[in-house]
Amino acid sequence: MIVQAKGLTKRFGEGLAQIVAVDDVSLTIETGELVIVMGDSGCGKTTLVSLLGCILTPDNGQLTLDGQVIDYAGQDLSQVRRQKIGFVFQLFNLIPYLSALENVIIAMQIGGFSRFEAEKRAKDLLTQVGLARRLDHRPAQLSGGEKQRVSFARALSNNPKIIFADEPTANLDSRQSDNLMNLVRQLRQEQQTTIVIVTHYQALQKDADRVIYMQDGKILTD
Amino acid sequence: MTHIFLKDMVYRRTRVVMTTIGIVVLITLILLLGGIMNGMRIQVQQYIRSTEANLWISAEGSGGAFTGFSLLVPEYLVFINHTKGVKRNSVSPLIFAHARPVINGKATKSIIVGYKQGKLGGPTQTIPNQGRMFTPSQYDDYRPEDQPPAEVVIDEKMRTPSGRKIPIGGKIYIGGKELNVVGRTKSLMFVLDTPLLFMDLRTAQEVLLKNSLHVNMMIAKTEPDYSAEALVEELDRNGMIEAKTLDQTLTSIIENYVDEPMKAVQFLRVMLWLAAGIIVTMITYVTTLEKTREIGTLKAIGASDYYIVMLILKQVILMSSAGVTLGVFLAFLAANLAPIFVKIDLLETSVVAIISFVVCCSGGYLASRKVLDVDPMIAFRGEL
Repeated sequence: MIVQAKGLTKRFGEGLAQIVAVDDVSLTIETGELVIVMGDSGCGKTTLVSLLGCILTPDNGQLTLDGQVIDYAGQDLSQVRRQKIGFVFQLFNLIPYLSALENVIIAMQIGGFSRFEAEKRAKDLLTQVGLARRLDHRPAQLSGGEKQRVSFARALSNNPKIIFADEPTANLDSRQSDNLMNLVRQLRQEQQTTIVIVTHYQALQKDADRVIYMQDGKILTD
Repeated sequence: MTHIFLKDMVYRRTRVVMTTIGIVVLITLILLLGGIMNGMRIQVQQYIRSTEANLWISAEGSGGAFTGFSLLVPEYLVFINHTKGVKRNSVSPLIFAHARPVINGKATKSIIVGYKQGKLGGPTQTIPNQGRMFTPSQYDDYRPEDQPPAEVVIDEKMRTPSGRKIPIGGKIYIGGKELNVVGRTKSLMFVLDTPLLFMDLRTAQEVLLKNSLHVNMMIAKTEPDYSAEALVEELDRNGMIEAKTLDQTLTSIIENYVDEPMKAVQFLRVMLWLAAGIIVTMITYVTTLEKTREIGTLKAIGASDYYIVMLILKQVILMSSAGVTLGVFLAFLAANLAPIFVKIDLLETSVVAIISFVVCCSGGYLASRKVLDVDPMIAFRGEL
């Protein structure tokens, strides 16, 4: 078991304007699983992933990641993120002035890799995601699908225990989305990484080990 | 991989260049203002030191030889000359006054030095092949009927309004009186490159004091075994004159001509430092705000606050270093091209450079702490 969440709750705002984005959610994710989180807009999918990815601090509840209970008050969460978690964002979030290769290297340098190791592994990862000939291209010179591949390579770069992908296909056309899912399948087979994907893209369901439906901050079905 | 902070600077090069230029201009101005003040301090002392006098006597209540309005009657010449400890016959009556001589129909700035040739207070000769000294008055004790030809020796840097040298034999007008330029000296300039005009004391009295026999001051030397301080005390006891030593005179003239009038400039220098700090703070703050999603992404992928603050600080340090270095270089260049005497002191330059660097870096550091407020959650939606 890589993730165990108990009674996670996250509220935004105060008084009458308060919204309970995630409401007493408990779940477990096993190592190597591909979990798809679905639901209508505003149902709390991204908030849940942010809580599981140690980006947000819950108002209530407990999170255990890779056997370690997260201590929100006393623990450096940035360290947890760089050691255990990889992120793929809807808007790719690549650093615009760095090449594809450098975007992967920077994550590894933050993760503590030496420059030599980082460069070698970054090249391998980008080759693995089919961008061997795009290493020196900047994000502005890449297509949406290519950017998301770089984003996946970056997420994998520090050998994370789990990858959280937030709407990775939202800004891609269907062909690019299919290609990306082929990449996810390939990465699962090769890297044995646990992946949690938040998406509206129905076609992803057939590859998932589990599909979680959310509504009003709660898990409707799992 | 080249450092990320350098790549970022290249990517945002217009902003980096503009910020650096801002720092360069401010540092140049800070140093030039200091250099102008240093130049004034040097020039204000040059003439006084060149006279080699160590007793400076002016009218009681004037505050000193160059400080306030001072007129002395000729009788003091005898009194001072016979004061024990004053070097016999070293006393020199002197007129030292700002004037606006008219050259080719236009007024220009100058200081008139009226003195007795052979006495303290003026040059002994002209530059070789540049004319002669003025014809002196006949008598050692000055008398109304003793009127030498209206001649003047000018400083070699004195120019016509069109910037040309004034020829030997040329005419200048002071107080409506025509004066014949008979020679040129390589003398010393007074504050803000004001040239000195040397003429006989009687001529100066005629053009400035309507032929009155008064002088502004008297200067003298002490005998070798006498202390100037003791003589100053003794002369002061007379109650009608005010005596100062060389050091006291220098202190009062620097205070009067440089420190007091330049208080506003000192204030301006502090403001410029503040401006340099504010520029760096504002630009760093705005840049940090602009990079919120980028910073959020770095945080989300595990970068610590320290790592991101250091990225920004490295940029601030590089821009500040470049700005300060170029500013110092430009200040020295500008000092050589300035139309007035500017003396940029190396020690002061080091202090200014260090203070400016610290001010800029502190401003940048304060702004970079905005990073601490950036929520990595922003990486998920890209909203501020």
